Amino acid sequence: MASFDHNPIVEMRNIEKHFGPVIALNGVSFDVRPGECHCLLGDNGAGKSTFIKTMSGVHKPTGGEIMFEGRPMSFDSPRDAMEAGIATVYQDLAMIPLMSVTRNFWMGREPVKRVGPFNFIDFKMANETTMAEMRRMGINLRSPDQAVGTLSGGERQTVAIARAVHFGAKVLILDEPTSALGVRQTANVLSTIDKVRKTGIGVVFITHNVRHAMAVGDRFTVLNRGKTLGTAQRGQITPEELQDMMAGGQEMVELEGSLGGTV
Amino acid sequence: MSDVNAVVDERVKQTSGLRKALIRPELGAIVGTIAVFAFFIVFAGDSGMFNAQGVLNWSTVSAQFVIIAVGACMLMIAGEFDLSVGSMIGFAGMSIAIMSVTLGWPVWIAILVTFAICIAIGALNGIIVVRTGLPSFIVTLAFLFILRGFTIFFPQLIERRTIIGGISDVAQGDWLAPVFGGKILGGLFVWLADLGLVDTFSRGTREGQPVVDGIPMLIVWALGLMILAHVVLTRTRFGNWVFAAGGDAQAARYVGVPVNRVKILMFMFTAFCATIFATCQVMEFGSAGADRGLLKEFEAIIAVVIGGALLTGGYGSVIGAALGALIFGVVQQGLFFAGVESSLFRVFLGVILLLAVILNTYIRRIITGER
Amino acid sequence: MNTFFKSMAATAVAAAALAGATAAQAEGERYVLVSHAPDSDSWWNTIKNGLALAGDQMDVEVEYRNPPTGDLADMARIIEQATASGPDGIITTLADYDVLSGPIRDAVASGIDVIIINSGTPEQAREVGALMYVGQPEYDAGFAAGQRAAGDGVTSFLCVNHYIAQPASSERCQGFADGLGVDLGNQMIDSGQDPSEIQNRVMAYLNANPDTDAVLTLGPTSADPTILALDQMGLAGDIYFGTFDLGGDIVQAIKDGVIEWGIDQQPFLQAYLPVVVLTNYHRLGVLPGNNINSGPGFVTADALGLVEQLAGEYR
Repeated sequence: MASFDHNPIVEMRNIEKHFGPVIALNGVSFDVRPGECHCLLGDNGAGKSTFIKTMSGVHKPTGGEIMFEGRPMSFDSPRDAMEAGIATVYQDLAMIPLMSVTRNFWMGREPVKRVGPFNFIDFKMANETTMAEMRRMGINLRSPDQAVGTLSGGERQTVAIARAVHFGAKVLILDEPTSALGVRQTANVLSTIDKVRKTGIGVVFITHNVRHAMAVGDRFTVLNRGKTLGTAQRGQITPEELQDMMAGGQEMVELEGSLGGTV
Repeated sequence: MSDVNAVVDERVKQTSGLRKALIRPELGAIVGTIAVFAFFIVFAGDSGMFNAQGVLNWSTVSAQFVIIAVGACMLMIAGEFDLSVGSMIGFAGMSIAIMSVTLGWPVWIAILVTFAICIAIGALNGIIVVRTGLPSFIVTLAFLFILRGFTIFFPQLIERRTIIGGISDVAQGDWLAPVFGGKILGGLFVWLADLGLVDTFSRGTREGQPVVDGIPMLIVWALGLMILAHVVLTRTRFGNWVFAAGGDAQAARYVGVPVNRVKILMFMFTAFCATIFATCQVMEFGSAGADRGLLKEFEAIIAVVIGGALLTGGYGSVIGAALGALIFGVVQQGLFFAGVESSLFRVFLGVILLLAVILNTYIRRIITGER
Repeated sequence: MNTFFKSMAATAVAAAALAGATAAQAEGERYVLVSHAPDSDSWWNTIKNGLALAGDQMDVEVEYRNPPTGDLADMARIIEQATASGPDGIITTLADYDVLSGPIRDAVASGIDVIIINSGTPEQAREVGALMYVGQPEYDAGFAAGQRAAGDGVTSFLCVNHYIAQPASSERCQGFADGLGVDLGNQMIDSGQDPSEIQNRVMAYLNANPDTDAVLTLGPTSADPTILALDQMGLAGDIYFGTFDLGGDIVQAIKDGVIEWGIDQQPFLQAYLPVVVLTNYHRLGVLPGNNINSGPGFVTADALGLVEQLAGEYR
């Protein structure tokens, strides 16, 4: 695949993170390259959240190295990471329901227009850009003044993704974007991920749903009990193998047998 | 695949224009304002409520509410409350009185120092709320008592009384005092009186002068603050951050909005508004009392809620809050003109507050699509 | 939407009904009485009753207005508002000269006759252009009480001030101290308005200062809980106890010998007389030549009959 010709944008080497006596991450290695979708799989409590928070600058790693575009990097705050081009779309904290799509889209980076001595938000430009970006992701908004609360869960994720893309993200971290969605909305979000990947952005897709991962992933890394169990290319691994690795092996196989392979 | 999103969901009904208008936060307040004026024109139309003096009377009272409601509104949109507003009014007035009368400082210095102290207290309120993560309700409740206590303690300690007068005398010729206690457009009213449109005093030293001798600066401040806050809130980046901080502080932080700074600034702005209220009052009446501003914090919050702001933050309108304050002022003074027992004002207040909150909850459901 | 309009309509109807019900339907003159008392102060019932009685007897329209929280700045607005509504006369207290003199002067200049009652001094009443002053000068009343107590051998006292923000109340304490010939110092406490708080503060003070000779309360609000406090401490009837103003419990306590005397400023007269004076002035052009002192009258255990019967209503 073409995307693997590139060097990684972000490379996390042997990351460790301790919270007091608790070892949340114990040697995690992970990288993402431009134009690929790298799925990070793991069961609840595997350390996925801690890991993405480390990657997005919320936590500082206790040990290990973060390389950004080939250089060692240490982020002091999410703002630093964001400015470097690492955008994170959190599962539930992405949007403010009471505010309009435009206000959400530009939140923190509102475009201003000078009128005399005052700086006002350039609403005309902001509205037009929002509508255009949303259209690119395949959503036709009724109006940019529409409150985000009136959008469906999938549409909200899409606004957040479109926002990250518009502001020049090089890496987009998606934290369980499909976990709370219905079938059709999941499909919408997955197709959005596909579009984003094609623009050359590296996508980190965190999920515990193997089928969602298989639908769009180029590479798959499984996290279990704070460690990476290895990374596989698309086509080198079957969904069943992924599922087993996530669950941590034997007992899952037994359980799966008794449930008739429906898990 | 890419077109899936664009398909209109047939189960979403088309929103009517009415429904759209309804989700503007001001709507309830606009309807309320019209209703209130209609009511009083019918029941108190010939009682003097709508002659020059009467209009000035309820405008002044409403302007007082507007000044504190604007501050409370911005703060509530940013997701916080300030229950110390009323005590701050008493405290600021007493501070000016003690500095200018007892200590003999020039009035303008007393005013400026008081502003600095009060805004600093506002900042302290904000910093404590932001740092500790305690509900602002509790933190500012503490300041409600702390400030009121000092407001009674200091004048008693220094002057052995709880009202300090004589500020009018020391404010004579001061350059800053008229900015708060003065009146403008006096000439206009003399002219209107000459035309017979405004009554004149019939006896005494002011015989022949118009009964309304100008627009109090209080009203000018109210309008100025309202316009400023409205523009900042709806048209600027900072305004967007205020909405964001109150709508969902965590989400706002994730996209780099300096939520803590925004909240602290809003606490300072609320304190600033309370101090303007106090300064105008002290300069107009020439005295400061320890009981000034009692319960004003609740009146401000009620005006803001009538104006359509949500108690949970993130949604509201300065214009709505100002209309809420107008309703408040007009009804408070109007019930008198209509000859209604004044204690029933409280009944009215409770009823309208309840209606406003119910309406707001309904609006919120429409916006957020909750069922 | 529907709900909202329905509710608004309901409010309007309800308010309309109230408006119709409470507007006093009398012919002729209209007088407004403005007080400085918060809604919660029960002592002003006597004023309201006196006002209503005078309104009935003279066949004039009377209205009682007060700032709900006792905020004097609000009171100034109420006087302005009363002026705008164009009554024939305004009867008002002068609780703070600085705040209220402006609005009162405006009322006078608008051609409205004003009578000052209760708070303020005869001098201040003259300065704002009022027709007369009806009331009991606070400092003088306190002073007289202090002299009386000094004659009974009192040398130290506790002044229970339940309305410390009102300067007149501090003047009563100050007058009492001066009448005794002692320094007020820390003998005045800010008791607040809550009965159980007042009771506990009085007990705390008396425990801390066991050699206190006398207790002075400023009205039923502070007197009633103080009676309870003294009962609990076993000091009732033992400690010298005087109070301003009367009320049901105070009268009973005077009868029981717990309270030596109550200073009756006869608030009934402060509401009743101004209405009578104003009405006669407007109808017949007659006006008494001087101020009227409604008090102080010392009410002791002797001659309690009528007082007891009418306490809280007209006394």
